[in-house]
Amino acid sequence: MKVTYNWLKDFVNIKMLPEQLAHKLTMAGLEVTSLEKKEGDFIFEIEITSNRPDWLSLIGVAREVAAITNSKLKIKKAKPQLKIKNSQKESNLLRIDIENKKDCPLYTAKIIKEVKVGPSPEWLSKRLELVGCRSINNIVDITNYLLFEYGEPLHAFDLDKLEGATIVVRRAKDEEKIITIDGQERMLSGDILVIADQEKPVAIAGIMGAKDTEVAVSTKNILLEAAIFNPVLIRRGRQKLGLQTDSSYRFERGVDAQTAQAASLRAAQLIREIAGGTLVLAKSAGLTAVKAKTVNLDFRRGEKILGVKITAARIKKILSGLGFKVKAQGKNKLATEVPAHRQDVSRDIDLIEEVSRIFGYENIPTTLPAARPKIIPCAKRDLVSLIKNILTGLGLNEVITYSLIDQNLLEISREKRGTEIEILNPLSREQEVLRPALIPSLARCIAYNFNQKQDYVNIFEISHTFSLADNQPREELSLGIAISGTRSWLLGQGLIKDEAGFLHLKGALEVLFARLGVKESSFGGLKNNCAAAILVNQQEIGRIIKLGKQTLEALDIKNKEVVAAELSLDKLFSFVDRQKKLHPLPVYPGIERDISLLVREDILAADILKAMRQAAGQLLEEIKITDYYKGKQIPSGFKGMTVSCLYRAPDHTLTFAELYPVHEPVLAVLKDKFSAQIR
Amino acid sequence: MSGIDFKAIEESIAADAAAVATPEALEGLRIKYLGRKGVLAQLTGSIPTLLPEERAFFGQRVNHLKIKIQALIEEKQKAFDAGASGGDIPAVDMGLPGIAQELGHLHPITEVIDEICNIFVRMGFSVVEGPEIETEYNNFTGLNIPLEHPSRDAFDTFYLRSQGPAEKLLLRSHTSPVQVRAMKAHKPPLAIVVPGRVYRPDAVDASHSFMFHQIEGFMVDANIRFSDLKGVLEFFAKAVFGKEIKMRFRPHFFPFTEPSVEVDISCIICKGQGCSVCGRKGWLEILGAGMIHPNVFKNVGYDSQKYTGFAFGLGIERIAMLKYGIDDIRLFCQNDLRFLKQF
Repeated sequence: MKVTYNWLKDFVNIKMLPEQLAHKLTMAGLEVTSLEKKEGDFIFEIEITSNRPDWLSLIGVAREVAAITNSKLKIKKAKPQLKIKNSQKESNLLRIDIENKKDCPLYTAKIIKEVKVGPSPEWLSKRLELVGCRSINNIVDITNYLLFEYGEPLHAFDLDKLEGATIVVRRAKDEEKIITIDGQERMLSGDILVIADQEKPVAIAGIMGAKDTEVAVSTKNILLEAAIFNPVLIRRGRQKLGLQTDSSYRFERGVDAQTAQAASLRAAQLIREIAGGTLVLAKSAGLTAVKAKTVNLDFRRGEKILGVKITAARIKKILSGLGFKVKAQGKNKLATEVPAHRQDVSRDIDLIEEVSRIFGYENIPTTLPAARPKIIPCAKRDLVSLIKNILTGLGLNEVITYSLIDQNLLEISREKRGTEIEILNPLSREQEVLRPALIPSLARCIAYNFNQKQDYVNIFEISHTFSLADNQPREELSLGIAISGTRSWLLGQGLIKDEAGFLHLKGALEVLFARLGVKESSFGGLKNNCAAAILVNQQEIGRIIKLGKQTLEALDIKNKEVVAAELSLDKLFSFVDRQKKLHPLPVYPGIERDISLLVREDILAADILKAMRQAAGQLLEEIKITDYYKGKQIPSGFKGMTVSCLYRAPDHTLTFAELYPVHEPVLAVLKDKFSAQIR
Repeated sequence: MSGIDFKAIEESIAADAAAVATPEALEGLRIKYLGRKGVLAQLTGSIPTLLPEERAFFGQRVNHLKIKIQALIEEKQKAFDAGASGGDIPAVDMGLPGIAQELGHLHPITEVIDEICNIFVRMGFSVVEGPEIETEYNNFTGLNIPLEHPSRDAFDTFYLRSQGPAEKLLLRSHTSPVQVRAMKAHKPPLAIVVPGRVYRPDAVDASHSFMFHQIEGFMVDANIRFSDLKGVLEFFAKAVFGKEIKMRFRPHFFPFTEPSVEVDISCIICKGQGCSVCGRKGWLEILGAGMIHPNVFKNVGYDSQKYTGFAFGLGIERIAMLKYGIDDIRLFCQNDLRFLKQF
């Protein structure tokens, strides 16, 4: 909201420079976001918090200036030397019907006859323009002026355009229409409040008036409205109509009856001064006087909250400076009568805030808490942290992608459909659904990086995935990894190129599982060579996939394979075992035996090792594949490999004589079970 | 006495050593004296021919020679090593790239979250997390934000398409709902920080995103005061931005705290002089905070006469942007490796 330095001075003596005032206001909670010098005045742009509708006015800000600078507020009481000849006949000039007092607690109308509508005097139009309001004509400008000065939105109707000398405050009928003063036709409905005459709505209450009853140059007689409307109703109405105005902004936050009446009176006075005319009727319906609230404050409570002792005298001074009527109640307590414009104050904490604000947060000491808070373990977060460290140690880079995605991405990634959660109010297609999987986002991320001329992209993300299970939304912590491209290593022997494939993913997961103490993990069969299940203890916790051709095309990834893994960390965590126990180091030497063999290509290495291990028994300490080859020197349909076996006895030096009966069955099983040729 | 002139041998050793100019010649020297058939081996081999009483003395002299020549050889060897074979061709071209496994990089958002959480953990806070799908109650009502009130405007929210008559579900628009969850689950004294993703339907531009990260923190006990809030936040801000920064606490409004405060630090770019980053103000807003509102305590079943507490919330992206000099929030979710690898 904008206020000007000179306008403020109408209400309070200011003995400081605009810059100093801006600082003081900011430190009291009215953040001055800009200060501009213009046409001999200074414009303060102030951010007003939603709890302080009273600050949405010049007088409200002036009141605050008075409190923080220790000066007095000067408000000229509008003197209605306007003689109202309220003869019986004239009182019948207008009927006010309020359909429901909850929608409109107060409606006041003043009828002013024989006004001269014309341009505003310069001082008026200039002030309005400084706070960003266009000058229309003297009557409309006066209502706007009072909106800025008092924070009460007023409205003036052309009396002669109202049918039947009646004002009805009612809900709009469904499909009722109105053309507002901005020239737009608007469709109304039963949850929108309108001001109507006997026939039609003449204003959307508290939001905007109708075009055909607005005050124009031809207007002679006016009806000046000052009212209070239910804030929730105004809020719903402006949301439904998509129409926020200076007026709705204030009504939605709340206006008090006292201010409404004072503003109306002052407007009538200004109209008489500027546009002439005679006030012939002042009428109101609804509440007239509101009983002032009383809130008690215990000083000790303030000290407990703030951590500083503020003297009773200081507290009294601060509160009365803000317009509260204070009365001591014994040594430690104060009874305060809340001024009408402070609808936000209803309990002691509200007063404590007021005291602290004016006392100055900078004057509250800085201490450290003496609390000994409970320690709440967060095992999940610790594990996630550990996993991130392991994966970055493996060279993978962490990414963060949006949890909201477009359906299309699921489509092209050929994700299972049907359980994804839709967003009711997305701003764009990119926010249609909560993603059920991470891989599509990671694939897009890979495509982006290839576009940036990267040769090798290896990324991971840990975040929630979302799906419907039994019609209930479910969140699952997931890990996604995706790798693609060729990595180059410059080693002593020259440049080594390493193209990403399934085994890179498997390797990363194996290291991860080993470090987390997850045992019994395996990778289920490759279906069509493009997907495998990640199993722990026979339970499927995720998958490894190679992106299909169509997906790659849709993502514009050319000549590259993309492999990706996704697994549920919630499931994985149930298998994590971080307990470690030392296996004693071997005391006796072992014996190593290498076996080079040729087997049919379709026989899986994992099956071979498993059979060998079974055949060997206890003495086999370690078995590993140390070489693997296909190609020219091997008959087609076969592969060659070297398996290295390490045998050791825990309690003595193993002899060759002992080894023979152990190693022979290992060789035998290779021949018998796999028809392997041993070389 | 054996009649061997040890002194002459010693002199010849010195002369031979002085003449050595190449590593090969040094090896020749070693073989001549220390080799299997070298001078010293012959001397040692002659010991059995001596009288028993001569043997000890003779042995000592031989040993002395051995030590001497070993020292000379070692000294020469060192000279060769240092001169890298005479200084012509280096054995390793140190201009070649070193060989190492390349490490991956944590996302800068993770780095900042970890840094901030660690600062609070040092002050006794525990880290707690919560779900991203929330109820209207936890996101709004429980936090003293009435559903139809202007104070809600700051929290525009994504709603989920309803699956039936159950309570409306939404994507949390801040991390504060975890306050409600944690306080319902635990009794004071409590000190908790909550990092996480939050969502708001904002149009994406250089400073807005529909998904971003926050850290929520709160502390509740029988005697937690506004002055404690100031102390904790000052410790935090100085740990992140450096001891030399200035801070200011401005009154503000949040529905779930009272009194409420916005915290500014002196601009870390211009040191408070005014620049484009701080909008010529010299101050940067970094977080919102306040004393937990009695209504929030009531909603979670705490006695607000007995317990007091503070809460604060801050945007991770904002902190990361200030810390690393990032001027476009979209970079965080673009995941360009050339960006990620700088952290």
